[in-house]
Amino acid sequence: MTHETITLSVTRFDPGQDSRPRLQGYEVPYRDDWVVLDALNWIKSHLDGSVNYRWSCRMGICGSCGMNVNGQPKLGCSAFLRDYLPGPVVVEPMANFPIVRDLVVDISSFLDKLRWVKPWIIRDETAVGPGEHRQTPAQIDQYRQFSMCINCMLCYSACPVIPIEPEFVGPAAIALARRYQLDSRDRAGQERLGTLTGSDAIWDCSFVGECSAVCPKGVDPAKAIQQTKFESTLGMMMPWGGR
Amino acid sequence: MSPTSSRDASQPRLDGEARATAPDRVSAQMPARTGEPAIAYPVKQPFTWWTRRRGYLLYMLREFTAVGIAAWMLLFLVQLARIRQGAAGYQPLGGPLFVAISVVCLALALWHSYTFLSLAGLFMRIPLGDRTVPARLIARAMFGALAVVTVAIAGMLIWGGA
Repeated sequence: MTHETITLSVTRFDPGQDSRPRLQGYEVPYRDDWVVLDALNWIKSHLDGSVNYRWSCRMGICGSCGMNVNGQPKLGCSAFLRDYLPGPVVVEPMANFPIVRDLVVDISSFLDKLRWVKPWIIRDETAVGPGEHRQTPAQIDQYRQFSMCINCMLCYSACPVIPIEPEFVGPAAIALARRYQLDSRDRAGQERLGTLTGSDAIWDCSFVGECSAVCPKGVDPAKAIQQTKFESTLGMMMPWGGR
Repeated sequence: MSPTSSRDASQPRLDGEARATAPDRVSAQMPARTGEPAIAYPVKQPFTWWTRRRGYLLYMLREFTAVGIAAWMLLFLVQLARIRQGAAGYQPLGGPLFVAISVVCLALALWHSYTFLSLAGLFMRIPLGDRTVPARLIARAMFGALAVVTVAIAGMLIWGGA
């Protein structure tokens, strides 16, 4: 069966006019190789220029076009229309974030959380010395998958703890903290562990695991969180834990 | 300090942030921010959130197994309390209903154990030289340990009791 068109139901919300978000239907041409982002761009160019959404690279790298497609957290550039036939395709903003306008959400809380875990290499030296800080392939393998995070925030959209505990640092920030904890060049492991074992961090996670299931880059934030829980518990209970 | 409270302007800023927020040519040309921040619509999680994804449902089932285990432990405590009445007055729980409840609780306990031990390799990171012990090996070791402990306790109860 061939499809000429497919319907997209897109969330619309104008804070100046609407009291709550609503869905608006758009009929767009169906192309076998189109993704939801292509359809949104077609709507903006041909039907309604007022639709707002974030996007940039169109190839799953920038992490800008996170949205809920038929209720599931997806990158708009990776959600093919052919997987949602015959439609309609319900396109909503990412869950667990306040809606600023249409599909655009307020991500300022995430940016604060990300900065809080200091996702960068911290060294003892005050000045950068000559030469390189070389690593073996095995050392890189320790943290490689956590370094693939593109900050798309789909894991926050899938995490049911975030709406209950809005201060929870969340999956991506902890995965990135773990990435630097496992980096042989970093010297702030204990400092980060103290941050992560404090309030609003790893112990808020009840291990639903859907953060890892929805990650478009194969990062496993649930693993990062549970490993940190295990290591901090060992640190408290065992004599070599340094407490 | 909570992660989002760091937005307080009175908090010391990090070095990297100070550099990032230093005025540059582009931001100098942009209009200054004035007035209240844009109104954002707060989204609440519906009560039926756990029905939206299969993973949510499996999570709730996994957590619910603890209720069955706790219920059986209460029955076990009742039996322990009855021991205080002495050998003559001790009447262990029995009958088809208790057996049925025990079988259901055993199934819940086994499911809980299976889900927990399957993930042991995920949360346990055991360094081995410059690598780590494979997750699959850790999970298998855990299931092996469960089997050994189960047989040992069953042996104590069956042959020790006889």
